[in-house]
Amino acid sequence: MTASATTCIATEGLTKRFPRVTALEDLTVTAGAGVTGLVGANGAGKSTLIKILLGLLPATSGRASVLGMDAATRGAEIRRIVGYMPEHDCLPPDVSATEFVVHMAQMSGLPRTAARERAADTLRHVGLDEERYRPIGGYSTGMRQKVKLAQALVHDPRLVFLDEPTNGLDPRGRDEMLALIRRIGAEFGISVLVTSHLLGELERVCDHVVVIDAGRLLRSSSIGEFTQATQAIAVEVEDGLQSLADRLAGVGEAVAVQGRTLTVQVPADADPGRAYDAVRDAVCDLNLNLVRLEQRRGHIEDVFKEPAA
Amino acid sequence: MMSEPTGVIHDIGYRHYEGERLGRGSAFAALAVHSLRGAFGLGRTARAKIMPLLLVTIMLLPAVVSIAIMALVKQQGMGYHNYASIMQPVLAIFLAAQAPYLVAPDLRFRVLPLYLSRPLAMIDYLGAKLAAMSVAMFLVLALPLTLLFAGELLVDPPGPTHTTEYFSALGGGVILAVLLASLGLALASFTPRRGLGVASVIAFYLFTSVVSGVFFGVFMSLGRDAAAKWAMLINPFFLVDSVQVALFGTAPSNGEGYPPGLWPCLFVLIVLAVATVGLVLRYRKAASS
Repeated sequence: MTASATTCIATEGLTKRFPRVTALEDLTVTAGAGVTGLVGANGAGKSTLIKILLGLLPATSGRASVLGMDAATRGAEIRRIVGYMPEHDCLPPDVSATEFVVHMAQMSGLPRTAARERAADTLRHVGLDEERYRPIGGYSTGMRQKVKLAQALVHDPRLVFLDEPTNGLDPRGRDEMLALIRRIGAEFGISVLVTSHLLGELERVCDHVVVIDAGRLLRSSSIGEFTQATQAIAVEVEDGLQSLADRLAGVGEAVAVQGRTLTVQVPADADPGRAYDAVRDAVCDLNLNLVRLEQRRGHIEDVFKEPAA
Repeated sequence: MMSEPTGVIHDIGYRHYEGERLGRGSAFAALAVHSLRGAFGLGRTARAKIMPLLLVTIMLLPAVVSIAIMALVKQQGMGYHNYASIMQPVLAIFLAAQAPYLVAPDLRFRVLPLYLSRPLAMIDYLGAKLAAMSVAMFLVLALPLTLLFAGELLVDPPGPTHTTEYFSALGGGVILAVLLASLGLALASFTPRRGLGVASVIAFYLFTSVVSGVFFGVFMSLGRDAAAKWAMLINPFFLVDSVQVALFGTAPSNGEGYPPGLWPCLFVLIVLAVATVGLVLRYRKAASS
Protein backbone atom coordinates (compact mmCIF):
# COMPACT_ATOMS: atom_id res chain seq x y z
CA MET A 1 0.00 0.00 0.00
CA THR A 2 1.30 3.42 -0.87
CA ALA A 3 1.13 6.26 1.59
CA SER A 4 -1.24 8.30 -0.54
CA ALA A 5 -3.78 5.49 -0.80
CA THR A 6 -4.18 5.28 2.95
CA THR A 7 -3.88 8.95 3.84
CA CYS A 8 -7.18 10.18 5.25
CA ILE A 9 -6.15 13.57 6.48
CA ALA A 10 -3.18 15.70 5.56
CA THR A 11 -2.36 19.25 6.53
CA GLU A 12 0.57 21.32 5.42
CA GLY A 13 1.67 24.42 7.29
CA LEU A 14 -1.92 24.94 8.41
CA THR A 15 -2.40 28.17 10.30
CA LYS A 16 -5.62 29.67 11.61
CA ARG A 17 -5.67 33.04 13.30
CA PHE A 18 -8.73 34.59 14.85
CA PRO A 19 -8.77 38.30 15.64
CA ARG A 20 -7.47 37.67 19.14
CA VAL A 21 -5.98 34.18 19.19
CA THR A 22 -3.97 31.91 17.01
CA ALA A 23 -5.77 28.57 17.03
CA LEU A 24 -3.41 26.64 14.77
CA GLU A 25 0.18 27.46 14.00
CA ASP A 26 2.02 25.92 11.05
CA LEU A 27 0.52 22.48 11.64
CA THR A 28 1.72 19.71 9.36
CA VAL A 29 0.27 16.28 10.11
CA THR A 30 -0.93 13.24 8.24
CA ALA A 31 -3.26 10.53 9.43
CA GLY A 32 -3.89 7.24 7.71
CA ALA A 33 -6.75 4.76 7.84
CA GLY A 34 -7.81 3.37 11.21
CA VAL A 35 -8.33 5.24 14.44
CA THR A 36 -6.33 8.41 14.91
CA GLY A 37 -6.34 10.21 18.21
CA LEU A 38 -6.00 13.97 18.35
CA VAL A 39 -4.89 14.95 21.80
CA GLY A 40 -4.54 18.36 23.31
CA ALA A 41 -5.66 20.42 26.24
CA ASN A 42 -8.87 22.44 25.97
CA GLY A 43 -8.25 25.28 23.56
CA ALA A 44 -5.36 23.51 21.85
CA GLY A 45 -7.07 23.90 18.47
CA LYS A 46 -8.71 20.49 18.06
CA SER A 47 -12.19 21.72 17.21
CA THR A 48 -10.81 24.41 14.92
CA LEU A 49 -8.85 21.78 13.02
CA ILE A 50 -12.01 19.68 12.55
CA LYS A 51 -13.96 22.69 11.27
CA ILE A 52 -11.23 23.45 8.75
CA LEU A 53 -11.14 19.81 7.65
CA LEU A 54 -14.93 19.89 7.14
CA GLY A 55 -14.47 22.93 4.92
CA LEU A 56 -16.56 25.09 7.24
CA LEU A 57 -13.78 27.45 8.26
CA PRO A 58 -11.18 28.92 5.91
CA ALA A 59 -7.57 28.57 6.99
CA THR A 60 -5.45 31.70 7.32
CA SER A 61 -2.65 29.96 5.46
CA GLY A 62 -1.49 26.47 4.60
CA ARG A 63 -3.42 23.57 3.13
CA ALA A 64 -5.63 20.79 4.42
CA SER A 65 -6.98 17.80 2.57
CA VAL A 66 -9.40 15.07 3.55
CA LEU A 67 -9.54 11.79 1.62
CA GLY A 68 -7.47 13.41 -1.10
CA MET A 69 -9.80 16.41 -1.49
CA ASP A 70 -8.80 19.98 -0.71
CA ALA A 71 -10.86 21.18 2.25
CA ALA A 72 -10.86 24.78 1.07
CA THR A 73 -12.40 24.11 -2.33
CA ARG A 74 -14.20 20.75 -2.12
CA GLY A 75 -15.88 21.10 1.26
CA ALA A 76 -19.30 20.00 0.00
CA GLU A 77 -17.86 16.79 -1.48
CA ILE A 78 -15.96 16.07 1.72
CA ARG A 79 -19.10 16.58 3.82
CA ARG A 80 -20.96 13.99 1.73
CA ILE A 81 -18.67 11.16 2.81
CA VAL A 82 -17.56 12.36 6.22
CA GLY A 83 -19.44 12.22 9.50
CA TYR A 84 -19.15 14.71 12.35
CA MET A 85 -20.02 14.37 16.00
CA PRO A 86 -19.67 17.75 17.69
CA GLU A 87 -18.43 18.23 21.20
CA HIS A 88 -21.45 20.20 22.34
CA ASP A 89 -25.02 19.08 22.82
CA CYS A 90 -26.82 19.17 19.49
CA LEU A 91 -30.06 17.25 19.93
CA PRO A 92 -33.60 18.61 19.93
CA PRO A 93 -35.47 17.28 22.99
CA ASP A 94 -38.93 16.81 21.53
CA VAL A 95 -38.24 14.24 18.80
CA SER A 96 -37.30 10.59 19.14
CA ALA A 97 -33.82 9.33 18.31
CA THR A 98 -35.22 7.39 15.36
CA GLU A 99 -36.95 10.41 13.80
CA PHE A 100 -33.91 12.57 14.38
CA VAL A 101 -31.41 10.14 12.87
CA VAL A 102 -33.70 9.47 9.87
CA HIS A 103 -33.94 13.20 9.27
CA MET A 104 -30.18 13.63 9.49
CA ALA A 105 -29.66 10.72 7.08
CA GLN A 106 -31.91 12.48 4.58
CA MET A 107 -29.93 15.66 5.07
CA SER A 108 -26.86 13.64 4.06
CA GLY A 109 -28.57 12.72 0.80
CA LEU A 110 -30.05 9.31 1.57
CA PRO A 111 -33.48 8.59 0.05
CA ARG A 112 -36.25 8.27 2.65
CA THR A 113 -36.56 4.46 2.74
CA ALA A 114 -32.80 4.00 2.84
CA ALA A 115 -32.61 6.63 5.58
CA ARG A 116 -35.10 4.64 7.68
CA GLU A 117 -33.19 1.38 7.28
CA ARG A 118 -29.81 2.95 7.94
CA ALA A 119 -31.11 4.80 11.01
CA ALA A 120 -32.46 1.60 12.54
CA ASP A 121 -29.23 -0.27 11.77
CA THR A 122 -26.99 2.49 13.10
CA LEU A 123 -28.96 2.98 16.30
CA ARG A 124 -28.72 -0.77 16.90
CA HIS A 125 -24.96 -0.70 16.37
CA VAL A 126 -24.42 2.13 18.83
CA GLY A 127 -26.56 0.26 21.36
CA LEU A 128 -29.87 2.13 21.55
CA ASP A 129 -32.76 -0.27 21.72
CA GLU A 130 -36.38 0.33 22.66
CA GLU A 131 -35.65 3.79 24.05
CA ARG A 132 -34.98 5.08 20.56
CA TYR A 133 -38.71 5.68 20.09
CA ARG A 134 -38.90 7.98 23.11
CA PRO A 135 -38.21 11.73 22.89
CA ILE A 136 -34.51 12.57 23.30
CA GLY A 137 -35.33 15.03 26.10
CA GLY A 138 -35.55 12.15 28.56
CA TYR A 139 -32.22 10.53 27.68
CA SER A 140 -29.16 10.17 29.90
CA THR A 141 -25.85 11.70 28.84
CA GLY A 142 -24.63 8.29 27.69
CA MET A 143 -27.67 7.79 25.46
CA ARG A 144 -27.34 11.29 24.03
CA GLN A 145 -23.74 10.63 23.11
CA LYS A 146 -24.87 7.46 21.32
CA VAL A 147 -27.47 9.41 19.32
CA LYS A 148 -24.84 12.00 18.41
CA LEU A 149 -22.57 9.18 17.27
CA ALA A 150 -25.40 7.52 15.31
CA GLN A 151 -26.18 10.68 13.34
CA ALA A 152 -22.49 10.90 12.39
CA LEU A 153 -22.47 7.31 11.13
CA VAL A 154 -25.92 7.00 9.60
CA HIS A 155 -24.87 7.84 6.02
CA ASP A 156 -22.01 5.29 6.18
CA PRO A 157 -19.19 7.82 5.88
CA ARG A 158 -15.64 6.83 5.00
CA LEU A 159 -14.28 8.95 7.81
CA VAL A 160 -15.80 10.31 11.03
CA PHE A 161 -14.66 13.20 13.18
CA LEU A 162 -15.55 12.55 16.81
CA ASP A 163 -15.02 15.63 18.96
CA GLU A 164 -14.61 14.66 22.62
CA PRO A 165 -17.02 11.69 22.45
CA THR A 166 -16.30 10.61 26.04
CA ASN A 167 -17.01 14.04 27.50
CA GLY A 168 -19.30 13.86 30.50
CA LEU A 169 -19.58 10.07 30.55
CA ASP A 170 -19.20 7.93 33.66
CA PRO A 171 -16.47 5.25 33.64
CA ARG A 172 -18.81 2.59 32.25
CA GLY A 173 -20.17 4.87 29.57
CA ARG A 174 -16.64 5.85 28.70
CA ASP A 175 -15.58 2.23 28.29
CA GLU A 176 -18.61 1.55 26.09
CA MET A 177 -17.90 4.57 23.92
CA LEU A 178 -14.22 3.66 23.55
CA ALA A 179 -15.10 0.08 22.62
CA LEU A 180 -17.55 1.45 20.06
CA ILE A 181 -14.87 3.72 18.56
CA ARG A 182 -12.53 0.75 18.31
CA ARG A 183 -15.27 -1.21 16.50
CA ILE A 184 -15.96 1.65 14.10
CA GLY A 185 -12.31 1.66 13.07
CA ALA A 186 -11.76 -2.08 12.99
CA GLU A 187 -15.07 -3.78 12.25
CA PHE A 188 -17.03 -1.08 10.38
CA GLY A 189 -13.99 -0.13 8.32
CA ILE A 190 -14.62 3.59 8.85
CA SER A 191 -11.58 5.71 9.62
CA VAL A 192 -11.88 7.75 12.79
CA LEU A 193 -10.36 10.98 13.99
CA VAL A 194 -11.18 11.19 17.68
CA THR A 195 -10.22 14.07 19.93
CA SER A 196 -9.73 14.02 23.65
CA HIS A 197 -7.93 15.95 26.30
CA LEU A 198 -7.26 12.70 28.15
CA LEU A 199 -4.30 10.87 26.70
CA GLY A 200 -4.81 7.68 28.65
CA GLU A 201 -8.14 6.77 27.11
CA LEU A 202 -6.97 7.23 23.52
CA GLU A 203 -4.10 4.84 24.19
CA ARG A 204 -6.67 2.04 24.32
CA VAL A 205 -8.35 2.63 21.00
CA CYS A 206 -6.02 4.48 18.63
CA ASP A 207 -3.59 3.22 16.04
CA HIS A 208 -1.97 6.59 15.76
CA VAL A 209 -1.84 9.59 18.04
CA VAL A 210 -1.30 13.22 17.17
CA VAL A 211 -0.58 15.54 20.07
CA ILE A 212 -1.08 19.25 19.61
CA ASP A 213 -0.56 22.02 22.09
CA ALA A 214 -1.49 25.66 21.55
CA GLY A 215 -2.05 24.93 17.87
CA ARG A 216 1.37 23.42 17.31
CA LEU A 217 2.29 19.82 16.62
CA LEU A 218 3.94 18.24 19.63
CA ARG A 219 4.19 14.71 18.40
CA SER A 220 2.68 12.41 15.78
CA SER A 221 3.41 8.72 15.82
CA SER A 222 1.87 5.28 15.95
CA ILE A 223 0.68 4.03 19.31
CA GLY A 224 3.38 1.34 19.30
CA GLU A 225 6.13 3.93 19.14
CA PHE A 226 4.55 5.84 21.96
CA THR A 227 4.64 2.96 24.39
CA GLN A 228 7.48 0.80 23.14
CA ALA A 229 10.37 3.05 24.01
CA THR A 230 9.43 3.38 27.63
CA GLN A 231 8.60 -0.20 28.54
CA ALA A 232 9.59 -0.84 32.11
CA ILE A 233 9.09 -3.22 35.03
CA ALA A 234 8.01 -1.87 38.41
CA VAL A 235 9.18 -3.82 41.45
CA GLU A 236 8.24 -3.29 45.05
CA VAL A 237 9.66 -5.23 47.99
CA GLU A 238 9.12 -5.01 51.74
CA ASP A 239 12.69 -4.16 52.78
CA GLY A 240 16.02 -4.04 51.09
CA LEU A 241 15.06 -2.06 48.01
CA GLN A 242 18.53 -0.55 47.79
CA SER A 243 20.34 -3.89 47.94
CA LEU A 244 18.07 -5.19 45.17
CA ALA A 245 18.84 -2.12 43.08
CA ASP A 246 22.59 -2.63 43.60
CA ARG A 247 22.34 -6.29 42.74
CA LEU A 248 20.38 -5.63 39.51
CA ALA A 249 22.72 -2.82 38.53
CA GLY A 250 25.54 -5.26 39.08
CA VAL A 251 24.15 -7.66 36.46
CA GLY A 252 23.81 -4.84 33.95
CA GLU A 253 20.16 -3.77 34.26
CA ALA A 254 19.16 -0.12 34.00
CA VAL A 255 17.47 0.55 37.33
CA ALA A 256 16.08 3.60 39.07
CA VAL A 257 14.60 3.95 42.54
CA GLN A 258 11.54 6.18 42.86
CA GLY A 259 10.32 6.22 46.46
CA ARG A 260 9.33 2.67 47.36
CA THR A 261 9.33 1.50 43.76
CA LEU A 262 12.20 0.20 41.74
CA THR A 263 11.93 0.62 37.99
CA VAL A 264 13.84 -1.61 35.61
CA GLN A 265 14.04 -0.19 32.09
CA VAL A 266 13.71 -2.70 29.29
CA PRO A 267 15.35 -1.61 26.03
CA ALA A 268 13.00 -1.80 23.05
CA ASP A 269 15.13 -4.39 21.26
CA ALA A 270 15.80 -6.64 24.27
CA ASP A 271 13.86 -9.71 25.34
CA PRO A 272 11.68 -8.59 28.28
CA GLY A 273 11.83 -12.13 29.71
CA ARG A 274 15.49 -11.70 30.53
CA ALA A 275 14.81 -8.67 32.72
CA TYR A 276 11.98 -10.48 34.55
CA ASP A 277 14.28 -13.44 35.15
CA ALA A 278 16.97 -11.16 36.55
CA VAL A 279 14.48 -9.58 38.96
CA ARG A 280 13.17 -12.96 40.06
CA ASP A 281 16.65 -14.37 40.63
CA ALA A 282 17.80 -11.27 42.53
CA VAL A 283 14.73 -11.31 44.82
CA CYS A 284 15.26 -15.03 45.55
CA ASP A 285 18.97 -14.73 46.20
CA LEU A 286 18.53 -11.79 48.57
CA ASN A 287 15.57 -13.54 50.25
CA LEU A 288 13.33 -10.46 49.94
CA ASN A 289 9.52 -10.30 50.26
CA LEU A 290 8.13 -9.31 46.88
CA VAL A 291 5.09 -7.01 47.13
CA ARG A 292 4.56 -6.00 43.52
CA LEU A 293 5.97 -6.95 40.16
CA GLU A 294 4.27 -5.47 37.15
CA GLN A 295 4.85 -4.47 33.61
CA ARG A 296 4.63 -0.73 33.26
CA ARG A 297 3.79 0.30 29.74
CA GLY A 298 4.85 3.79 28.91
CA HIS A 299 1.91 6.13 29.02
CA ILE A 300 1.39 8.70 26.35
CA GLU A 301 1.21 11.32 29.06
CA ASP A 302 4.99 11.02 28.95
CA VAL A 303 5.13 12.95 25.71
CA PHE A 304 4.26 16.05 27.68
CA LYS A 305 7.23 15.46 29.96
CA GLU A 306 9.61 15.18 27.05
CA PRO A 307 10.79 18.35 25.39
CA ALA A 308 8.74 19.21 22.33
CA ALA A 309 10.17 17.75 19.16
CA MET B 1 -37.25 -34.10 23.05
CA MET B 2 -36.85 -30.43 22.45
CA SER B 3 -38.57 -29.07 19.39
CA GLU B 4 -36.35 -27.87 16.61
CA PRO B 5 -35.76 -24.10 16.69
CA THR B 6 -37.74 -22.50 13.94
CA GLY B 7 -35.89 -19.24 13.70
CA VAL B 8 -32.29 -18.19 14.15
CA ILE B 9 -31.03 -14.71 14.82
CA HIS B 10 -27.92 -13.92 12.89
CA ASP B 11 -25.66 -11.07 13.81
CA ILE B 12 -24.93 -9.83 10.35
CA GLY B 13 -22.55 -7.19 11.63
CA TYR B 14 -22.01 -3.82 10.06
CA ARG B 15 -23.23 -3.37 6.52
CA HIS B 16 -22.00 -0.61 4.29
CA TYR B 17 -24.48 1.55 2.41
CA GLU B 18 -24.15 0.88 -1.29
CA GLY B 19 -27.26 2.72 -2.40
CA GLU B 20 -27.86 6.06 -3.98
CA ARG B 21 -26.49 9.28 -2.49
CA LEU B 22 -28.55 12.25 -3.56
CA GLY B 23 -27.23 15.78 -3.68
CA ARG B 24 -27.95 19.13 -2.13
CA GLY B 25 -31.22 19.46 -4.03
CA SER B 26 -32.85 16.48 -2.41
CA ALA B 27 -31.60 17.46 1.04
CA PHE B 28 -33.10 20.90 0.42
CA ALA B 29 -36.41 19.35 -0.60
CA ALA B 30 -36.42 16.97 2.36
CA LEU B 31 -35.76 19.81 4.79
CA ALA B 32 -38.42 22.02 3.19
CA VAL B 33 -41.04 19.24 3.32
CA HIS B 34 -40.06 18.35 6.88
CA SER B 35 -40.39 21.99 7.95
CA LEU B 36 -43.67 22.46 6.08
CA ARG B 37 -45.17 19.42 7.76
CA GLY B 38 -43.89 20.71 11.07
CA ALA B 39 -45.54 24.09 10.52
CA PHE B 40 -48.90 22.28 10.52
CA GLY B 41 -47.91 20.10 13.45
CA LEU B 42 -47.51 16.95 11.34
CA GLY B 43 -44.88 14.58 12.71
CA ARG B 44 -45.01 16.45 16.01
CA THR B 45 -46.82 15.97 19.28
CA ALA B 46 -50.60 16.20 19.51
CA ARG B 47 -50.24 19.50 21.35
CA ALA B 48 -48.33 21.01 18.45
CA LYS B 49 -51.23 20.19 16.10
CA ILE B 50 -53.86 22.15 18.08
CA MET B 51 -52.80 25.67 17.12
CA PRO B 52 -52.40 25.19 13.33
CA LEU B 53 -55.64 23.19 13.18
CA LEU B 54 -57.53 25.83 15.13
CA LEU B 55 -56.21 28.70 13.00
CA VAL B 56 -56.88 26.91 9.72
CA THR B 57 -60.44 26.24 10.92
CA ILE B 58 -60.95 29.91 11.82
CA MET B 59 -59.61 30.90 8.40
CA LEU B 60 -62.15 28.60 6.76
CA LEU B 61 -65.16 29.82 8.74
CA PRO B 62 -65.87 33.01 6.71
CA ALA B 63 -65.64 30.99 3.51
CA VAL B 64 -68.14 28.46 4.82
CA VAL B 65 -70.49 31.21 5.97
CA SER B 66 -70.15 32.98 2.61
CA ILE B 67 -71.05 29.81 0.75
CA ALA B 68 -74.11 29.42 2.96
CA ILE B 69 -75.11 33.05 2.20
CA MET B 70 -74.61 32.42 -1.52
CA ALA B 71 -76.73 29.30 -1.36
CA LEU B 72 -79.53 30.79 0.75
CA VAL B 73 -79.88 34.42 -0.32
CA LYS B 74 -78.13 34.16 -3.69
CA GLN B 75 -75.74 36.97 -2.86
CA GLN B 76 -71.98 37.08 -2.75
CA GLY B 77 -70.76 36.98 0.84
CA MET B 78 -67.11 37.65 1.47
CA GLY B 79 -64.93 38.92 -1.38
CA TYR B 80 -61.70 37.31 -2.53
CA HIS B 81 -59.51 40.40 -2.64
CA ASN B 82 -60.03 41.46 0.97
CA TYR B 83 -60.01 38.01 2.60
CA ALA B 84 -56.39 38.39 3.73
CA SER B 85 -56.89 41.94 5.02
CA ILE B 86 -59.97 41.00 7.02
CA MET B 87 -58.37 37.85 8.42
CA GLN B 88 -54.99 39.49 9.09
CA PRO B 89 -54.92 38.85 12.87
CA VAL B 90 -55.40 35.13 12.25
CA LEU B 91 -52.64 35.05 9.64
CA ALA B 92 -50.38 37.04 11.96
CA ILE B 93 -51.01 34.60 14.82
CA PHE B 94 -50.27 31.65 12.54
CA LEU B 95 -47.00 33.29 11.49
CA ALA B 96 -46.09 34.12 15.09
CA ALA B 97 -46.87 30.59 16.24
CA GLN B 98 -45.05 28.70 13.50
CA ALA B 99 -42.10 30.84 12.32
CA PRO B 100 -40.23 30.45 15.65
CA TYR B 101 -40.80 26.69 15.52
CA LEU B 102 -38.99 26.51 12.19
CA VAL B 103 -35.85 28.34 13.27
CA ALA B 104 -35.54 28.64 17.05
CA PRO B 105 -35.00 24.99 18.14
CA ASP B 106 -32.12 24.47 15.70
CA LEU B 107 -30.42 27.53 17.19
CA ARG B 108 -31.30 26.82 20.79
CA PHE B 109 -30.32 23.15 20.79
CA ARG B 110 -27.41 23.80 18.42
CA VAL B 111 -28.60 21.39 15.74
CA LEU B 112 -27.42 23.85 13.08
CA PRO B 113 -23.80 22.56 13.07
CA LEU B 114 -25.14 19.10 12.21
CA TYR B 115 -26.92 20.49 9.14
CA LEU B 116 -23.86 22.48 8.11
CA SER B 117 -21.53 19.48 8.45
CA ARG B 118 -23.56 17.88 5.65
CA PRO B 119 -23.69 18.79 1.95
CA LEU B 120 -26.37 21.38 2.72
CA ALA B 121 -25.01 24.95 2.76
CA MET B 122 -26.29 27.70 5.04
CA ILE B 123 -28.09 29.29 2.08
CA ASP B 124 -29.87 25.97 1.36
CA TYR B 125 -30.95 25.70 4.97
CA LEU B 126 -32.37 29.23 4.96
CA GLY B 127 -33.94 28.73 1.55
CA ALA B 128 -35.68 25.55 2.68
CA LYS B 129 -37.00 27.22 5.83
CA LEU B 130 -38.21 30.28 3.87
CA ALA B 131 -39.85 28.08 1.27
CA ALA B 132 -41.59 26.00 3.94
CA MET B 133 -42.89 29.04 5.83
CA SER B 134 -44.02 30.75 2.61
CA VAL B 135 -45.87 27.69 1.38
CA ALA B 136 -47.45 27.23 4.81
CA MET B 137 -48.67 30.85 4.88
CA PHE B 138 -49.93 30.56 1.33
CA LEU B 139 -51.83 27.35 2.05
CA VAL B 140 -53.51 28.87 5.09
CA LEU B 141 -54.81 31.70 2.89
CA ALA B 142 -55.34 29.82 -0.35
CA LEU B 143 -57.35 27.02 1.24
CA PRO B 144 -60.35 29.21 2.25
CA LEU B 145 -60.12 31.19 -1.01
CA THR B 146 -60.25 27.96 -2.99
CA LEU B 147 -63.11 26.64 -0.88
CA LEU B 148 -64.98 29.88 -1.47
CA PHE B 149 -64.35 29.66 -5.20
CA ALA B 150 -65.43 26.02 -5.34
CA GLY B 151 -68.56 27.01 -3.41
CA GLU B 152 -69.27 29.81 -5.84
CA LEU B 153 -68.90 27.45 -8.81
CA LEU B 154 -71.24 24.92 -7.22
CA VAL B 155 -73.90 27.36 -5.97
CA ASP B 156 -73.59 29.49 -9.09
CA PRO B 157 -75.17 32.69 -7.75
CA PRO B 158 -76.54 35.25 -10.21
CA GLY B 159 -74.00 37.44 -11.95
CA PRO B 160 -70.62 36.56 -13.47
CA THR B 161 -68.24 34.17 -11.74
CA HIS B 162 -65.40 35.94 -9.94
CA THR B 163 -62.59 33.94 -11.58
CA THR B 164 -60.29 36.93 -12.06
CA GLU B 165 -60.80 38.07 -8.47
CA TYR B 166 -59.99 34.57 -7.24
CA PHE B 167 -56.71 34.36 -9.15
CA SER B 168 -55.80 37.95 -8.27
CA ALA B 169 -56.30 37.11 -4.61
CA LEU B 170 -54.10 34.02 -5.02
CA GLY B 171 -51.42 36.19 -6.67
CA GLY B 172 -51.60 38.66 -3.81
CA GLY B 173 -51.52 35.66 -1.47
CA VAL B 174 -48.19 34.51 -2.92
CA ILE B 175 -46.66 37.95 -2.32
CA LEU B 176 -48.13 38.15 1.16
CA ALA B 177 -46.90 34.66 2.05
CA VAL B 178 -43.31 35.33 0.94
CA LEU B 179 -43.21 38.73 2.64
CA LEU B 180 -44.67 37.51 5.92
CA ALA B 181 -42.51 34.37 5.93
CA SER B 182 -39.27 36.29 5.49
CA LEU B 183 -40.28 38.90 8.08
CA GLY B 184 -41.43 36.24 10.53
CA LEU B 185 -38.33 34.07 10.17
CA ALA B 186 -35.98 37.05 10.38
CA LEU B 187 -37.66 38.24 13.58
CA ALA B 188 -37.88 34.76 15.09
CA SER B 189 -34.28 33.84 14.30
CA PHE B 190 -32.89 36.61 16.46
CA THR B 191 -33.75 34.75 19.62
CA PRO B 192 -33.12 31.06 20.23
CA ARG B 193 -36.12 30.95 22.57
CA ARG B 194 -39.35 30.06 20.87
CA GLY B 195 -41.56 31.98 23.29
CA LEU B 196 -39.66 35.19 22.72
CA GLY B 197 -39.86 34.61 18.98
CA VAL B 198 -43.66 34.27 19.17
CA ALA B 199 -43.84 37.46 21.22
CA SER B 200 -41.57 39.42 18.89
CA VAL B 201 -43.52 38.47 15.75
CA ILE B 202 -46.85 39.34 17.40
CA ALA B 203 -45.38 42.56 18.76
CA PHE B 204 -44.13 43.47 15.31
CA TYR B 205 -47.58 42.93 13.80
CA LEU B 206 -49.36 44.88 16.55
CA PHE B 207 -46.80 47.68 16.34
CA THR B 208 -47.09 48.12 12.57
CA SER B 209 -50.86 47.87 12.56
CA VAL B 210 -51.29 50.31 15.46
CA VAL B 211 -48.72 52.78 14.12
CA SER B 212 -50.25 52.73 10.65
CA GLY B 213 -53.73 53.14 12.17
CA VAL B 214 -52.70 56.06 14.36
CA PHE B 215 -50.87 57.89 11.57
CA PHE B 216 -53.79 57.23 9.23
CA GLY B 217 -56.22 58.74 11.74
CA VAL B 218 -54.03 61.75 12.48
CA PHE B 219 -53.38 62.58 8.83
CA MET B 220 -57.06 62.10 7.94
CA SER B 221 -58.13 64.50 10.72
CA LEU B 222 -55.61 67.03 9.43
CA GLY B 223 -57.14 66.65 5.99
CA ARG B 224 -53.94 65.29 4.49
CA ASP B 225 -55.45 62.32 2.69
CA ALA B 226 -52.42 61.51 0.56
CA ALA B 227 -50.15 61.21 3.59
CA ALA B 228 -52.78 59.09 5.31
CA LYS B 229 -52.74 56.65 2.40
CA TRP B 230 -48.96 56.35 2.64
CA ALA B 231 -49.26 55.67 6.38
CA MET B 232 -51.48 52.68 5.57
CA LEU B 233 -48.50 50.95 3.95
CA ILE B 234 -46.73 50.55 7.30
CA ASN B 235 -49.01 47.59 7.95
CA PRO B 236 -47.56 44.69 5.90
CA PHE B 237 -51.04 43.37 5.09
CA PHE B 238 -52.15 46.67 3.57
CA LEU B 239 -48.76 47.00 1.87
CA VAL B 240 -49.37 43.72 0.07
CA ASP B 241 -52.98 44.69 -0.59
CA SER B 242 -51.73 47.87 -2.28
CA VAL B 243 -49.43 45.77 -4.45
CA GLN B 244 -52.41 43.59 -5.34
CA VAL B 245 -54.36 46.74 -6.28
CA ALA B 246 -51.47 48.06 -8.37
CA LEU B 247 -50.71 44.77 -10.14
CA PHE B 248 -54.11 43.11 -10.52
CA GLY B 249 -56.46 46.08 -10.33
CA THR B 250 -58.54 44.73 -7.45
CA ALA B 251 -60.56 47.01 -5.19
CA PRO B 252 -58.57 48.33 -2.21
CA SER B 253 -59.64 46.54 0.94
CA ASN B 254 -58.92 49.47 3.26
CA GLY B 255 -61.78 51.46 1.74
CA GLU B 256 -59.62 54.53 1.11
CA GLY B 257 -57.27 53.43 -1.64
CA TYR B 258 -53.49 53.61 -1.74
CA PRO B 259 -50.84 55.93 -3.13
CA PRO B 260 -50.80 55.55 -6.92
CA GLY B 261 -48.05 53.93 -8.93
CA LEU B 262 -45.76 51.02 -8.33
CA TRP B 263 -44.18 52.42 -5.17
CA PRO B 264 -45.74 49.69 -3.00
CA CYS B 265 -44.04 47.05 -5.18
CA LEU B 266 -40.70 48.71 -4.53
CA PHE B 267 -41.42 48.80 -0.79
CA VAL B 268 -42.24 45.10 -0.78
CA LEU B 269 -38.97 44.35 -2.54
CA ILE B 270 -37.05 46.51 -0.06
CA VAL B 271 -38.68 44.84 2.95
CA LEU B 272 -37.95 41.41 1.42
CA ALA B 273 -34.32 42.36 0.82
CA VAL B 274 -33.88 43.71 4.35
CA ALA B 275 -35.44 40.62 5.92
CA THR B 276 -33.35 38.25 3.79
CA VAL B 277 -30.11 40.09 4.44
CA GLY B 278 -30.95 40.12 8.16
CA LEU B 279 -31.50 36.36 8.07
CA VAL B 280 -28.25 35.69 6.21
CA LEU B 281 -26.23 37.88 8.58
CA ARG B 282 -27.87 36.24 11.57
CA TYR B 283 -27.00 32.77 10.30
CA ARG B 284 -23.52 33.70 9.26
CA LYS B 285 -22.92 34.65 12.87
CA ALA B 286 -24.65 31.51 14.15
CA ALA B 287 -22.66 29.27 11.80
CA SER B 288 -19.31 30.62 12.92
CA SER B 289 -19.99 30.30 16.62
